Amino acid sequence: MKVKLWGTRGSVPSPGPETIRYGGNTSCVGVTLSDGSLLALDAGTGIRNLGLALPEEPTRLHILLTHLHLDHIQGLVFFAPAFRPQTEIVIWGPASPEASLRDRIARYVSAPLSPVEVRELPCDVSFRHTPEAEWEIGPARIRSASVAHRGPTLGYRIEDAGASLAYIPDHEPGLGADLDALEEEWISGFALAEGASLLIHDGQYTDAEYPGHVGWGHSALGHSLAFARRAGAERTVLFHHDPMHGDEFLDRHAEAAREAWAGAGGDRAAIGLGAEGEEHSLPALVDQPAGTA
Amino acid sequence: MTQRPLELILARNLMSALSTPAFLVDQGGLLVFYNEAAGTLLGKRFEELGTVGPEEWGSLFGPFDESGDPIPYDELPLVAAVREGRPAHAGLTIRSTDGTLHRVEASALPILTAHGTQGAIAVFWPTGGNGGAA
Repeated sequence: MKVKLWGTRGSVPSPGPETIRYGGNTSCVGVTLSDGSLLALDAGTGIRNLGLALPEEPTRLHILLTHLHLDHIQGLVFFAPAFRPQTEIVIWGPASPEASLRDRIARYVSAPLSPVEVRELPCDVSFRHTPEAEWEIGPARIRSASVAHRGPTLGYRIEDAGASLAYIPDHEPGLGADLDALEEEWISGFALAEGASLLIHDGQYTDAEYPGHVGWGHSALGHSLAFARRAGAERTVLFHHDPMHGDEFLDRHAEAAREAWAGAGGDRAAIGLGAEGEEHSLPALVDQPAGTA
Repeated sequence: MTQRPLELILARNLMSALSTPAFLVDQGGLLVFYNEAAGTLLGKRFEELGTVGPEEWGSLFGPFDESGDPIPYDELPLVAAVREGRPAHAGLTIRSTDGTLHRVEASALPILTAHGTQGAIAVFWPTGGNGGAA
C-alpha cells in the first residue's frame, strides 16, 4: 500500500510563501492498493493535483469522504477525472437522516456555488453511504466508524497486504475525556487506529491554543499524542494543519511533538507532521521530500 | 476490539462533566457508566463497581416504590427508554451502600441513532426525602 499526502491543511486552503513546505491544500490522501486500485481519502483542494497526476486512460476510483465540511469536498469540481466519460467514480460518505449523500454533496456541486451540477458530470459517478462495518475494495478491507467531530463524521481503517492505514483527520477524542485514563472501548476512534502501520490524525492545535477551541472538533497536540500512544500505531502523521500555522510555526509544532513523544518513551522518528507531497510505503518507512520536518 | 458506539462515548463524556447524578445503559440494558454525582448518591464510585447487570444493580441499590417494594426491572425508566425507545419518568427510592434511602425523580431518554437505539441515559433528581419504608 502506498500513501501520498495531496493536501494536509485544515479548514480553508492557505497558499502562500509561508506554507510552501507543509502545503496549503486541504485534506486529501491518495492510497494505491497492492493491486494498483486507487482510493482518495477526502476531496479537499488537494484532490485537484491528485487528478492531474492520473493518466487519462479509463480509470475506476473510490473517494472515501470522512464528512462533508467544505475543506473535505471543495476539490470535487476541480478533479479532472470527473470530467472524463471514461472515468468511474464511487463516492462514499457518512449517512445522515436529513438527506442522501448525493443530495448533500449537490448543495455544493450546484448553483450558485458551482458552475456545474452533479448530473452534468461526464464521468460515471455514484454515491454510497459508508457502512459502519467492514467491506472490501479490491484487495483491501475497509472499516469505518463514527468519530468525535462536529456533525456526522467518519474515520477509516484500510488493511491491505499486511499493512494498515488509519485515517482520522478531523477528531476531538479528548473532548470531555481523559485519554490516559479511559478504557480503550470508550475512546473515540480507538478501534480504527489500534496497532495501525500508519495513523494519519488530527493535530490542528497546540495545547496552548486548544482552550480557545474546545468543541470545535479538533485535537490539541497532547490529545493527538495520547490517542496515538494508546492506539499503539507504529507511526503517526499529524494532519489538518491550522491555516494560521505557517511552515516555521509547524516546524516548532513538529519538534514539540517529537519531544513529547520521546519524553513518553516513544521513538522520535515515529511521529511527524504531514507535508504535501509526502509519501509512505507501508509497512516500509516514510520517504519524505527534502526540507520537510 | 469492540468499540462503544460514538453516541454512548459522547454521552459518557457529557455525563462526566455534570453535577447531576446520571446513568448510562447500553443497547442490552446493561449499566455501563454512572458519573461522580451518582457515585456520591449511591456511596460507591463507578470505578469500584464496574459494569453491572440488572440483577446485581437491584440487589445493591433497589430501587423501591413509595411503599418500599422493589420496582421490577422492566418498569424502571432507563429500561423502558432503551427497550421501547421512548422517554420515561418515575419517582423512586434508591438505597445507598450505607443503607441510606434517597427519594429521587428519574428521567430517562433513549439514545436513538441511525442504527437504532444504542442505549439510554437517565438523570436522577434527589427530592430530599428518605423514601419512607424500604
